[in-house]
Amino acid sequence: MTDTVATPSLIKTLPGAAYTDPAYFTAEQAAIFETMWFCVVRSADIPDPGSYRTVQVGRESLIISRARDKSVKAFLNVCKHRGARLCTDEQGQVQRSFQCPYHAWTYGLDGKLIAAPNLTKMPDIDRVEFGLTSLPVREWLGYVWVCLADEPPSFEDSVQQDIVDRLGDLDSISHYDVADLALGKRIVYDVAANWKLIIENFMECYHCATIHPELTEVLPEFADGYAAQYFVGHGAEFGPDVKGFTVDGSEGLDKIPTVADDQDRRYYAITVRPQVFVNLVPDHVIIHRMFPLAADRTVVECDWLYLPSVVEAGKDVTASVELFHRVNSQDFDACERTQLGMSSRSYREGGVLVPSEHHIGAFHDWVTSMVGTPRQEA
Amino acid sequence: MIEICPLADLPAGEAKRVLVPPHPPIAVFHTEDGAVYALDDTCTHQDASLADGWVEDCRVECPLHASTFDLRTGGVDQPPAKVGVRAHAVTVQDGTIYVELSDETPNLPPGVSYGASA
Repeated sequence: MTDTVATPSLIKTLPGAAYTDPAYFTAEQAAIFETMWFCVVRSADIPDPGSYRTVQVGRESLIISRARDKSVKAFLNVCKHRGARLCTDEQGQVQRSFQCPYHAWTYGLDGKLIAAPNLTKMPDIDRVEFGLTSLPVREWLGYVWVCLADEPPSFEDSVQQDIVDRLGDLDSISHYDVADLALGKRIVYDVAANWKLIIENFMECYHCATIHPELTEVLPEFADGYAAQYFVGHGAEFGPDVKGFTVDGSEGLDKIPTVADDQDRRYYAITVRPQVFVNLVPDHVIIHRMFPLAADRTVVECDWLYLPSVVEAGKDVTASVELFHRVNSQDFDACERTQLGMSSRSYREGGVLVPSEHHIGAFHDWVTSMVGTPRQEA
Repeated sequence: MIEICPLADLPAGEAKRVLVPPHPPIAVFHTEDGAVYALDDTCTHQDASLADGWVEDCRVECPLHASTFDLRTGGVDQPPAKVGVRAHAVTVQDGTIYVELSDETPNLPPGVSYGASA
């Protein structure tokens, strides 16, 4: 399916409209974000019964919360009565229930309709049927994943398979004990770019030597343009003088003890479709969750995770966080710059991928297989 | 005296709404400490079942708004409800809950009426 152009070195990208057309974005919401497992929050973000966060997945607003029995629930953020949005805050804590601010329809933390004015006069109202719409939930790597599909795909064959395809197996990631790490830093980026530009950028390293001087110092092999994501089971090796994965190559934090010897002093990167990036280094793990909000807007929430002992002791993670924060800022600036060109007549048929980017063609083929072929003019 | 149910059918921490026509429905509470109380079930502010509310520190909070009622006296603490509900005498005999209905006039919310109290 990947188009070739006259020059064998080059294959074509998607046309510009795939990055700008609101109709194509809506089709992606329906065919991708509302059909696949979508990583929404860190489990520790909702520690107690009644803690909640609201997130946008596809075209839906969701409440992710913890019930009385400590289990995680995901609900559509819509009152079953007249459709008012229940929670408008991004996060919060309710005492015992979610109550619609319009007519006070009141739902328990399990989603069941508990009370409503005159409910006792309407004994025919089924409290489960008129409870909140509940969605399937999985917890993995210390994150909550939800699926809006009527029949969710197998978690193992989708989310976990993307990890296996990159690392070779699941054991490799289990060595990082991701679920039991603690949040050292979270930065939220509001990026004026299409989500696919962010994924494509993350997949290739042709840009690394140009825009990521600090990263290329730490991982010298990135200068040749082949990203860790080009290979299977390959971690980019730290430079010989580099002590840790930090902005200046200085010593990092305490190493995660279960990381294997052959993973030490290496950087691994994985894309879990459609919206998660994972970076693994010996002393921390970086997880990006993307929330595509419009054809030209994506919010990225990025977590830096360390050993709980490192976070509890209040150790200085500044130089550690700063490396990838700088990489993120450099990348997202580039994505925003690229977004500007997507609507140009010169990009109507798209651009080209050089050999070290050819694997992005497989991502484009996947998008097209899910959504259909974008039209060439927006 | 009205026979409600065996105590074993109302686990501690739970409440049930009981219809006692022609009188207004009552709510019977079995608290976590093991005590049993009975109140009129209908909040005096708006038609809501107190049996669906939340019990804490010997008070029940209406599930709709923030008023709470004392399980022992029916007294209300804060608006929007302005008057209390009736409290009914409860006895547990041989493992069965009985309630003696109060003969006071019930304080029902606007638009709500039951049989004799209409």
